[in-house]
Amino acid sequence: MGTLLAILVWCWVGTGMSTHDLIGSGPRIADFFDRMLPPDLTWTTNEPRPFAPPLKIAWTAVSITLQISVLGTAIGFVLAIVLGFLAAENLTPHWVHHPLKIALALLRSIPVILLALLFVTAVGLGAVPGVLAIGVHSVGMLGKLFAEEVEGADEGVWEAMDSAGANWFQKVRYAIWPQVAAQIYSLTLFRLDMNIRESAVLGLVGVAGLGLWIENYRRAFDYPSVATLVIVTMMVVLIVEQLSIQVRRRLK
Amino acid sequence: MIKIEYLEVKYGRNPPVLSIDKLHIGPRERVAIIGPSGAGKSTLLRTIKGYVRPARGKIEVMGVNLATARRRERQPVNQRIGVVYQQFHLVKRLSVVKNVLCGRLGLTSRWRSLLGIFSAEDRAVAWSAICEVGLSKKVHQRADTLSGGEQQRVAVARALAQQPTIILADEPVSSVDPAWAEDILELILQVQAHHNATLVMSLHQPDLARRFADRIIGLRDGKVVFDGPPSMLTENSLKELYRGIDSLPLNGAATHAEKDQTRSA
Repeated sequence: MGTLLAILVWCWVGTGMSTHDLIGSGPRIADFFDRMLPPDLTWTTNEPRPFAPPLKIAWTAVSITLQISVLGTAIGFVLAIVLGFLAAENLTPHWVHHPLKIALALLRSIPVILLALLFVTAVGLGAVPGVLAIGVHSVGMLGKLFAEEVEGADEGVWEAMDSAGANWFQKVRYAIWPQVAAQIYSLTLFRLDMNIRESAVLGLVGVAGLGLWIENYRRAFDYPSVATLVIVTMMVVLIVEQLSIQVRRRLK
Repeated sequence: MIKIEYLEVKYGRNPPVLSIDKLHIGPRERVAIIGPSGAGKSTLLRTIKGYVRPARGKIEVMGVNLATARRRERQPVNQRIGVVYQQFHLVKRLSVVKNVLCGRLGLTSRWRSLLGIFSAEDRAVAWSAICEVGLSKKVHQRADTLSGGEQQRVAVARALAQQPTIILADEPVSSVDPAWAEDILELILQVQAHHNATLVMSLHQPDLARRFADRIIGLRDGKVVFDGPPSMLTENSLKELYRGIDSLPLNGAATHAEKDQTRSA
């Protein structure tokens, strides 16, 4: 208890939190929200402005964000199937699964936004660095989860297939895959729905999509447009989450 | 068919779990192995199957000495031994017919089977196996929707799809509703006779062994202490076999109770 308190105090001091500032920032936050409202819902304007109205670009922005997430998740899924199965203790010898587990952990340990920053530097602005960042991070995440699923599969079925003379690939296909497939699809859908949220943030480092437009409007001090896109982002995330819940429920 | 001579099986440096001087099992014999838990019944079956390598001695199955044979030589033998397990080991989410087709995996084209393609011959063999175990009306039902007895029938059909020369059954009725146990054993005898296979099964209940086998082998502490026809298995030899063990497992309930005990021990 004392240790926990000490940690909290250390954090409070370190971050420069003060009750005075907290209370003082209230009006400023309120002011910020005030400037965001009402959200800009116009289609056309005659006023000169740096960017088109948010609803006009919303469709393209949402599309590109979804495209990045879907493609990144798909790449992650394919690689995670291969690496995750090879990283399962019950399928491969120690010298195969052990280094793979470490490699997957290393991939997971890099936050998506850092990966995106690296890829933006490497391949330039646009959607591609986003796809790569989401893909690499998903491999680490899904690979670990897939390996755990495989390790939880019933060993007896494996022995029964072996008894029928099946080779390694046949055993994986018939003893393991049917046991884990539904859960693997479900985990992938869950990852997709997290990736959509993640990819919306990647605009901050120059990846195309909703995040980039939010950043553009913010830099132009066009807060009502920021509000519109934040609402659009929330709607997209909620809709995808609901769809994913529905599909995953059916997979059970 | 199966020739065991001076066989010793050890796990690590522990004393041998199996130590058999001589045991020959001929073609088409129906053998039941009985004995208390931990006597080595399962180990004997696993040794015949080639999963356990003996520390010394000879174990010849279909003319191949599994103790010394290379993997390549053991593989065709393994292929011709069908196994029925206590826990069935079916793929729960697959249909009856797909489970039975899994018995063909060693005989069919490897790469086509990965795509889920089985030859007409595979399908024909699987279908006749399903008919033989009386599940022709449930071919497309998922395995986990079947009762325990039906699941064991699927497992028998899968073993048959292998077109086995030897059928091994490791306590095939210990996880089945006692009411269905006799049906399953009758079915196993029936398919054994129909396919001219050699049958070796371990049973927890001497009573069932008496009624469903032509030859009974009693194991105790890894040694053969009884070997003969059921008529020779007297009350005295049973007492000797299960000496020091509290209750003689005579019915399904007792079997399960004892299983639980050994598991929690």
